[in-house]
Amino acid sequence: MTASTYESTSPAIPVGQHPARETLVGLGTMVRFVLRRNRIRLLVWWLVIVGLFAYVLVYYRDIFTSQSALDDFAAVSNVPSIKALTGLAAAPNTMGGAVWTKIWMTCALLLAFGVVFLVTRNGRADEEAGRTELLRSRMLGMHAYTVATWIVCGALSVAVGIGVAAVSIGGGLDPAGSGITGSVILGASITGVGLVGLAVSALAGQVMTTSRAANALASTVLGVFYMLRMVGDLGDGRLTWASPIGWGQEMQPWGANRWWPFALMLVLTAILLAAASTVESRRDLGAGVVSERAGRADAPARYAKPLGLALRMERGPVIGWTLTIALSALLFGSVIDAMSTLMEDASDSVAAIMRGTGVDALLSMLITMIAMITTVFAIQTSLTLRGDETRGIIEPQLAGAVSRVNWALQRLLIPMVGSAVLLVIGGGLIGVSYGATIGQSGQALTLALAALAYWPAVMVFVGITVALFGWLPRLSIALSWGLLAAMWIVVIVGDALRLPAWLLDLLPFSATPYQPLDPMSLPPVIVMTAVAGLLCWLGLARFARRDVQTG
Amino acid sequence: MTESIVTTPSHGNAIDVHSLTKSFGRVQALRGLDLTVPVGKVTGFLGPNGSGKSTTIRILLGLLRADGGEATVLGGDPWADAVRLHRSIAYVPGDVNLWPNLTGGQAIDILCRLSGPLDPKRKDTMLERFDLDPTKKARAYSKGNRQKVALVAALASTAQLLILDEPTSGLDPLMEAAFTESIREVKSDGRSVLLSSHIFAEVERLADQVTIIRDGATVESGTIAELRHLTRTQVTAVIDGSSNSLAVMPGVHDLKRVDGHVTFAVDDEALGPVLAAVAALHPRSLVANPPSLEELFLRHYEPELAALNGRGT
Repeated sequence: MTASTYESTSPAIPVGQHPARETLVGLGTMVRFVLRRNRIRLLVWWLVIVGLFAYVLVYYRDIFTSQSALDDFAAVSNVPSIKALTGLAAAPNTMGGAVWTKIWMTCALLLAFGVVFLVTRNGRADEEAGRTELLRSRMLGMHAYTVATWIVCGALSVAVGIGVAAVSIGGGLDPAGSGITGSVILGASITGVGLVGLAVSALAGQVMTTSRAANALASTVLGVFYMLRMVGDLGDGRLTWASPIGWGQEMQPWGANRWWPFALMLVLTAILLAAASTVESRRDLGAGVVSERAGRADAPARYAKPLGLALRMERGPVIGWTLTIALSALLFGSVIDAMSTLMEDASDSVAAIMRGTGVDALLSMLITMIAMITTVFAIQTSLTLRGDETRGIIEPQLAGAVSRVNWALQRLLIPMVGSAVLLVIGGGLIGVSYGATIGQSGQALTLALAALAYWPAVMVFVGITVALFGWLPRLSIALSWGLLAAMWIVVIVGDALRLPAWLLDLLPFSATPYQPLDPMSLPPVIVMTAVAGLLCWLGLARFARRDVQTG
Repeated sequence: MTESIVTTPSHGNAIDVHSLTKSFGRVQALRGLDLTVPVGKVTGFLGPNGSGKSTTIRILLGLLRADGGEATVLGGDPWADAVRLHRSIAYVPGDVNLWPNLTGGQAIDILCRLSGPLDPKRKDTMLERFDLDPTKKARAYSKGNRQKVALVAALASTAQLLILDEPTSGLDPLMEAAFTESIREVKSDGRSVLLSSHIFAEVERLADQVTIIRDGATVESGTIAELRHLTRTQVTAVIDGSSNSLAVMPGVHDLKRVDGHVTFAVDDEALGPVLAAVAALHPRSLVANPPSLEELFLRHYEPELAALNGRGT
């Protein structure tokens, strides 16, 4: 390949190349193209994940100055809620183990989801928009663009793993005399989870015909992996082995220091990527695995109402999230009873930390998780306002006889009412499932109401999304998700960020009564409802006055 | 405020726009644009890409807010009265975006009902006329078929005003004929049409009057006959003898002679005497063409054309 091809900004034709395989013609050009197009995103993902790890490491080195402090931390961490959320390190009373317990799961999931979004952005999304067609009309092998994306995302996973390992080595997490094995295993375990995310999204992008569906499928699969290991970690650990995320955990840096689960992840990645290649070589450009069927020639009258149309367009997400919440809730509820025996064995310090029976604390934490999942649904469905605007499909709708505020309000009924329904389903089913094991039917109502108390907090996020849609439409999608991610990190990393307590208490999820552990309290719920209403009003008032901004 | 259908405004214009201005940041898209669409007429709206046609149309639909000037649509303010006005407007965007997982037929039903009641008979008539399969998912349609969906939805309605932004881009010639037929029906119903287009033949065929814009301002508007006023007719004749006498006649320009083929342009007011003089030379054939709409249009873009030709490609 000539140097001039590389210098060219156009991702077009490699000149004079003699590829080993015709399907990969232009791979080098495409790798450069993918790197160039995603350079900011790649850099941000790397910095966020490695930076987060480094931050926690430095903070923990400051606060854990003695072995007894580490022993206390290990005891406090050995509770169901932490095991469920992040897993417990193999050697929790070492510095490396403490950092692992705090941040490994967050780093691994961030990398996996980051890779999923990158793969879809450069794969199915481009194909859906017709850009891939333009590229493939040039001298470009069938798999070149896809494989280039895999190479770049795989390289990101490796780079993050190397970064984390380097920080770990530099930060002295390896105990004296043990070399750097633990740090390297740690880095590899994060890389491995990233590669699994790559493989899952690669196949999802081949199977589904829209970028939205591809992201949804890949995210669901990762969510299932997370749930499996959660149930496994809470129980006897068998289900942890059913989850590739669990394989990453079971590499156990500074504990068993296993390499072979990494091989499992590589094999799974290779199998899924091979399957994705096979699908790509057999399907038509733009098609998925399931071919498009003919539909009805007529639409029911309700589709002409914004709400009716939105219900039809959001049918997939609504059903998908309802199933996700219902299944998660049943799963959560079923493992709680198994926990009570664990709780009885727990030490005094654990009982003190958990305040009360411990089961209540676990229930409160699981209800918060249901609310977190509901928030993703609420933001996703609220952002369809902006989605319609960017795709230009808002124009024919607003060219009809409907006011903008009316249009938006009807659309927002889905996140508003839907969130309440999802919270009740989630809390209620945890109660049904848990109540059945202990013979208390009243749990369903109690926990449904405990979950419903999160509705104002969820609505605050809807309000923020709508306000951003009104005032900063071009940034609204990125900022809405960014704020949710920031809150997730604050909730998970919490104390390590050294944020002022009043700020943490102000976060919608911290402000909500932590039921059933804490009693219900009306003032924060009322205030948040008012804030959410105000934010929605601000956003809609602006939307009614601004230009429609497509693209 | 009237509740449902907007009555025909008494002053006789479905659209009245004066000195309209609109900027996007530092880019001035419209700088004092004027446009009228008389009731019951088809008005052609011509201008090159980026001259402000779509911006104007989006303002007329209340999707963008004008910075200055006046715009009246069916007697109302397109921004403030948008909802009421839209009951009587059918719109075909230049770039048709549909809901990818709905069928074309469903999209048509939705679009029709958004403005007024759906008339299934008219829908079927138009589906047949435009040869569109309504059971296909929108993402499976070609550009032309997406365009047809929007066209069928607009033409199946009984809207008082049709706003069409390059409605036939991507259509084949058969569909162009169906389109011409449909617009003539709309006109015979006494409804009004704003037709933005690049296809001069189509505008010449359908439009009662034409507005030409350039850089966000109107440079010419009127009927095509009015536009031709004070222009020159192109004459080609085959004359065996000398044609020198023609070259010196008042009103004759750019006379050229190649192998007996004489071509020249003649001012409209001198056409009679010049043709008489040509007749006296016993031409073997004679063709006189009034300027086409395309030529009228291009006259307003002479600097740009000169620049293009000067590039010497």
